[in-house]
Amino acid sequence: MVTPLVVCILLLVVYPFFFAIQISFTNRVVGSDGQFVGFANYINLAKKPDFQASIQNTIVMVSAIQIIKLIIGLGLAALLNQQIRARQLWRGLILIPWAMPAFVAFITWKLLYAPQGGAFNYILIGLGLVNTHVDFLSTRELAMPSVIAASVWRGFPFWVISFLAAMQSVPRELYESSALDGANAWQRFMNITLPGIRHIILVVILISTIATTNSFEAVWILTGGGPSNATMTFPVLAYYGLQSLRIGEASAVSVALLPVFAVLALIVAVQLQKED
Amino acid sequence: MFDKPALWQKFMYYGLLIIVAIIILFPIYFMFMISLKQPKDIYRTPSLLPLNASLKNYEELIVEDHFLINIGNSVLVAGASTFVSVLFSSMAAYSLVRLKYLYRNWIGRLILFTYLTPSGLLFIPLSVMISRLQLGNTLHGLIFVYLTFAAPLSTWLLMGYFRSIPVELDEQAMVDGATRLQAFYRIVLPLTGPGLVAVSVFTFTAAWDELLYALIFITSPSLQTVPVAISRLITGDVFRWGLIMAAAMFAALPVMILYYVAQRFVVQGLAAGAVKG
Repeated sequence: MVTPLVVCILLLVVYPFFFAIQISFTNRVVGSDGQFVGFANYINLAKKPDFQASIQNTIVMVSAIQIIKLIIGLGLAALLNQQIRARQLWRGLILIPWAMPAFVAFITWKLLYAPQGGAFNYILIGLGLVNTHVDFLSTRELAMPSVIAASVWRGFPFWVISFLAAMQSVPRELYESSALDGANAWQRFMNITLPGIRHIILVVILISTIATTNSFEAVWILTGGGPSNATMTFPVLAYYGLQSLRIGEASAVSVALLPVFAVLALIVAVQLQKED
Repeated sequence: MFDKPALWQKFMYYGLLIIVAIIILFPIYFMFMISLKQPKDIYRTPSLLPLNASLKNYEELIVEDHFLINIGNSVLVAGASTFVSVLFSSMAAYSLVRLKYLYRNWIGRLILFTYLTPSGLLFIPLSVMISRLQLGNTLHGLIFVYLTFAAPLSTWLLMGYFRSIPVELDEQAMVDGATRLQAFYRIVLPLTGPGLVAVSVFTFTAAWDELLYALIFITSPSLQTVPVAISRLITGDVFRWGLIMAAAMFAALPVMILYYVAQRFVVQGLAAGAVKG
């Protein structure tokens, strides 16, 4: 019964997985299989400014996005875990950005940021905060924060909903006895809620980090990696590599991330098995 | 936490929630509002209100850009890859949860790893494979590629649902003379109904939303799926925002409706699992 799926996975995921690693050690281009070149692609990449930029940008972008989502996620989940009227309704509302297709979310944000016709410029100018149109996505200093803000908007619901579900399964008695001991709300949050949902926090951080690191849409739609590599990340760089038909080198870009992915995935696997 | 919140606390709670609601809803409102506007209204008389609203962009999208063809392509690709992966994965998930055999745990781990494997790693080898198989620029090639994430996703989710159905049910059926396969499709599968719906919705939306593979594997405009057709609209020199947002509405509405429906099934699925026997 499991055979069709296993065949499908071996063919479509496992084989390409190892094939990617193999390609990254060749000078393959479209139309020619190329030859084994050892680490040449990786050595070349290490010297390239766009690759160096993409390492730095990926680290900055992913950590900023994850830290902000963690704070918002915990805060809003804790808020919704209070006595709130129509909790279902608020939860449904918070889910909306996540239910939207990612590319739609980012195209909408591209419009919000637009110098001409965009909402942010209209509001900023209307309030007299700026005199001229701000080009959020083409200004070096603003491009990265703009991509981060849009990514947080699209990604935070998953965190809130997961944390809220976990918080609701923390036994109430723990809170009651601690309230009797005179603990205040902040102490209860730190001593009961956080340890109670520690496991979920870790799994959410890991799964989301894998997804965010490999997110193609946000950067590709909003900035295309620009201005001058200010927001270039691995998946977008690999995509441009494929466009330029130098497959070997492009593959090296995505395989360079593999160790990070493998470590994160292993921790997820261990954590999920603990749960069983 | 269980004390009645004081009045100032209530103010703070709901105040915060309203701010969050505005942050969530404003971009969506703006998207819808711009989709009703013509370029001259967007650029010459910018406003946050839908002045001079019309459905002209939607009309142009359907009549001149043949957007319904793109929607049809998306429905076909997402539907077919969901069907195939739910078919395979319901059998696989059942067997992984219920049967005991060699390497079972390894297969379970393999599925988790493939579920986590990013498309950013696979698109280059897949593009080589697809062109070698002469499946480039075809919808069935794209369906094939979508199984890379659809199959592990639906298997992973379904394993959770099957675990929630008591083993005693299949055992009872088999005591009554049913074979393992009959126990699966007569007893377990119907009980997993809501779960199957939820998993199908998640898988369908994942395929509906997919951009990277579709961008790489489809080149003819008549075969483009919705995400690719929209991204084609934003790569030009002039952004026709009204048209782009109308297309975005077309792309967002079906999945948001599906999600709303699935939410209820997910809750039902959980409730069904909780009621034993």
